[in-house]
Amino acid sequence: MLERPVWSYFCPGESSAAELTRLQCAPAPRDSEEKEMLDRMLRVDHAGEYGANRIYAGQMAVLGRSRTGPLIQVWDVKEHLEKFNEILAENRVRPTALLPLWNIAGFVLGASSALLGKEGAMACTVAVEESISEHYNSQIRALMEKDPERYTELLQVIKEFRDDEMEHHDTGLEHDAESIPGYWLLKNAIQLGCKAAIYVSQRV
Amino acid sequence: MAALLRGLRAGRTLRGLCSVVSAPPAANPQCSGLTRGIHCAALRLQDESKSDKPPPSSSSTTHHEHYQTHSAEQASTSDPAAEEASRPNTSYQDQSGEQGEEYETEEQLQVRILNAALEFVPLHGWSMEAIAAGAETLDLSSASTGMFYNGAGDLVLHFVSHCNSQLTEILAEQHKQVQLGQAEQKRTADFLRDAVETRLRMHIPYIESWPQAMSILLLPHNIPNSLKHLSTLVDDIWFYAGDRSTDMNWYTKRAALTGIYNTTELVMVQDSSTDFQDTWNFLDNRIQDVVNMAGTAKQVQSTGEAVVQGLMGAAFTLKNLTGLNQKR
Repeated sequence: MLERPVWSYFCPGESSAAELTRLQCAPAPRDSEEKEMLDRMLRVDHAGEYGANRIYAGQMAVLGRSRTGPLIQVWDVKEHLEKFNEILAENRVRPTALLPLWNIAGFVLGASSALLGKEGAMACTVAVEESISEHYNSQIRALMEKDPERYTELLQVIKEFRDDEMEHHDTGLEHDAESIPGYWLLKNAIQLGCKAAIYVSQRV
Repeated sequence: MAALLRGLRAGRTLRGLCSVVSAPPAANPQCSGLTRGIHCAALRLQDESKSDKPPPSSSSTTHHEHYQTHSAEQASTSDPAAEEASRPNTSYQDQSGEQGEEYETEEQLQVRILNAALEFVPLHGWSMEAIAAGAETLDLSSASTGMFYNGAGDLVLHFVSHCNSQLTEILAEQHKQVQLGQAEQKRTADFLRDAVETRLRMHIPYIESWPQAMSILLLPHNIPNSLKHLSTLVDDIWFYAGDRSTDMNWYTKRAALTGIYNTTELVMVQDSSTDFQDTWNFLDNRIQDVVNMAGTAKQVQSTGEAVVQGLMGAAFTLKNLTGLNQKR
């Protein structure tokens, strides 16, 4: 049995027991400003993954039995959400209070886009994934600007997730997302909604 | 202003000295009771100011503080040189404010005064008089209460935040014990009960005047701060109780605990039983209520899920019947 908890051998500076279960994904914030910035980022990322899961659940509910079912199944990445759940818990970040809203809104978006057919579902996926990738990219830029070494693990996680989302985006394009009539309108409407959701989730 | 303070200090010290002739200048502590007293006071101040962390505080406040203490010493002894010799670091000529450890920030000074003031709360209540009395025990002028713009509110908020940090330390210590395997993890209900009881017991020395403190916390300009302290307290307790939820449970758990804490606090201020046994019984019952409610909520949820399953089954049957369910 170790004399001290395992973590204390790796982070000699951290004596507060509040950091006992930190898995080192995000560093302990040095001041309240950094804590606020990290809180916002993690909160909105968590809300985003939660919403994405609900969108795919909505799409599956409508198209699950059809040919596209297996395709959408592949996108249902619960691991992203679980990872963010872990990170939120470790860093004691408050989840957004609008989660029930994203629950319903995501499901409705997924289901209604799927009702437009396979192309509708693909178009919705393309729009959402593009939004999310852009959002992750801006977070990566912000963290790189601040201090790349400090946030290495967090950057790694975000980059990995962004790559996954881009993959979904490309798959959506491959499967005739653009062939739906009103593609431009649908895509922009969904992206506008995503931007609003991101803005609000950071704060509430 | 400085002259007035100097006069006040001089007047008070001279009254204290009574008929004693000013002592011969000597650093020898055995000389006389008076010099010993002065020397001890000087050393105490020197030690205290040395133990403070090096801060980049505003030079004017430190200048003022040191001028006050320096002038106090000057008034009480005929040889300022001896005092300067025994306190070489607190020269008020150095205005950089960043040299060495003997300069403290305004916040640290405020904390010291408020800590000292807590002793006088049973006597003066949560008020400026208590803060003034506290300042005086630190050999500072009672006019230093002018630093506290919020008056009694500062004292109460300081006490609340002090109690919260004490509780966090206790909980962290317990958590460490459990991590190291030296103690058992308590059940959630027991943990919450113990945490709230520990926290409320910190009010016992001030329980007579606690209603006054509570009303001060409810003043409109104090509400943001008192809410912040309350939410930090509740978040800490749930964190150490093992809550790692990341959905609406996060909010409902904290809301429930806030309700429990506030109502138990109210019961405590009018409880006259021995060792506040009625309060702890009330607390037990409230926690039991919350546990029951959580159980009921789970049941409702599973019933709801079963109902939804049933409805989906019915919809599926309908789809089959109407032929909508063919693979395209």
